[in-house]
Amino acid sequence: MTRVLVVEDEDHLARGLRFNLEAEGYRVETADSGEAALSLLGPDGNFDLVLLDVMLPGKDGFEVVEEMRRKGLFSPVLMLTARGRAEDVLRGFEAGADDYLPKPFDLKILFARISGLLRRREWLRRADNGSAEPSILYYAFADKELDFDKQQLRRGEEVVSLTLMESNLLRYLISREGQAVSRNAMLENVWGVREDTDTRAIDNFVVRLRRYIEDDPAKPRHLLTVRGVGYRFVAEPDAGKQDST
Amino acid sequence: MVTGGGRKRSVLFASIFGIVLIVVAVALNVSWIVVNWRTGLMLAFGVLMFAVLIAGLVLNTIFLLREIRRNEQHDAFINAVTHELKTPVASIRLYLQTLQERPVGPVKREEFYQIMLEDSERLQSTIDQILLAGKTAASGRVLNRTPVDVAEMADECVQLAVKRHHLPPGSIELVEKTAADDSFVVSGDLDELKAAVMNLVDNAVKYSGDRVQVKVEVSPASSKRVAIRVADEGVGISKNERKRIFRRFYRIPVPASRVKGTGLGLTIVRSVARRHGGRAYVESAGADCGSTFTLELPTASL
Repeated sequence: MTRVLVVEDEDHLARGLRFNLEAEGYRVETADSGEAALSLLGPDGNFDLVLLDVMLPGKDGFEVVEEMRRKGLFSPVLMLTARGRAEDVLRGFEAGADDYLPKPFDLKILFARISGLLRRREWLRRADNGSAEPSILYYAFADKELDFDKQQLRRGEEVVSLTLMESNLLRYLISREGQAVSRNAMLENVWGVREDTDTRAIDNFVVRLRRYIEDDPAKPRHLLTVRGVGYRFVAEPDAGKQDST
Repeated sequence: MVTGGGRKRSVLFASIFGIVLIVVAVALNVSWIVVNWRTGLMLAFGVLMFAVLIAGLVLNTIFLLREIRRNEQHDAFINAVTHELKTPVASIRLYLQTLQERPVGPVKREEFYQIMLEDSERLQSTIDQILLAGKTAASGRVLNRTPVDVAEMADECVQLAVKRHHLPPGSIELVEKTAADDSFVVSGDLDELKAAVMNLVDNAVKYSGDRVQVKVEVSPASSKRVAIRVADEGVGISKNERKRIFRRFYRIPVPASRVKGTGLGLTIVRSVARRHGGRAYVESAGADCGSTFTLELPTASL
């Protein structure tokens, strides 16, 4: 599962960010000072993303990211700060941040940037692994077109932006088109968790995906529930019916 | 800051330049004295001119250094205010967009509303603080005088602080020491006086750390004066900081401090005290020994 570290000493912002990140299916930890963040980022602190505030008690955000890079911790860092002047932004990048977003920020833009950073990390990881499985970049079924690169779904004129996790789950189901996929397999391959976590999170994602790809989400034709197992993606439900008759 | 290094260098250059000029002027003066040792009038005239020159240079350098320091404090103030204004706005916006875009259960929804209310209060109090600092610094006299019962006002402030900082009951203790004929009624501007007391109580809580133990005491200071004492057992104040903390924008430079603020609070307290013909001062046994702030006001003659 994608792990995100939120470093923010303002309790309200930290709680709001945690709620949103968890709703996206990320696992979130928070730190309220630079020192606390660095100790969480220690040897086994393998975070996929760090959201870092600048004005922190103790070590500030600039120092934290500098120290991370010095220690060889290369998790992507997105700095969030009230200081949006050009020199602050430059200082952030100089210190080793990957992206910089001034407060107050737009929630949608924040998540677009987060998935941008995670997507790039995913590419790098795949390049490192010698690409175990060729991943689908583009897919079309019924009257829908999916662009996994842009995380977009096109339904006729309408374009829906997908979050990274929505897009990954859909891609995984599509790569096993026609097969029943268990919830545990989805957790393992999409979120990368092995232990028995709550699989109901997946059901929420499926509800959302159905809203995008089904003409009538209450009567799904593409994303079907397989009782006792999990889900199955079917590209052409009518063709399947003809075969069986 | 990228430009920070350049600025620091030019400040250093200006200060060294000033000092070098002073040294050069002193050296010229000495050589003037040596050269014109025998010529009485020329010597006296020259020495006088040099004295004027040197005094001017010294004054100018001092003025320059003082302005630089004030400018730095002003920068820090702008940073602090930016943070104090933008953080609650960012929070409110984050929660509103969350409510707009995600399904949120009724319990969470209630929690979010509460958080947004607290943020808007924080925003309001920062704005009030800035406006009040402007107002109390500008004019000399209080216009809006009404009789204010100090004990009652202190009680309100304590209750508000307990609520605002989510403190357990009893963490702020209010003590009234009344002698029979003492009056705790002051003629003054209720809003200003309340802001002053509120600032003292807020500071006491903020600088107490995790264990808040604050005592607010209202007692007669002398005949016709009432004292409001706010004592905490927090970080305390070292001797050289005791005067500076009342200055505008001044904040004790503690890098690891969790306490956030604009640096206006105590300036407001002192201006309000002066505008009402009273005074404000601090006593502290030193770092980590807590501190006691006193606001002394003349009582209204009945």
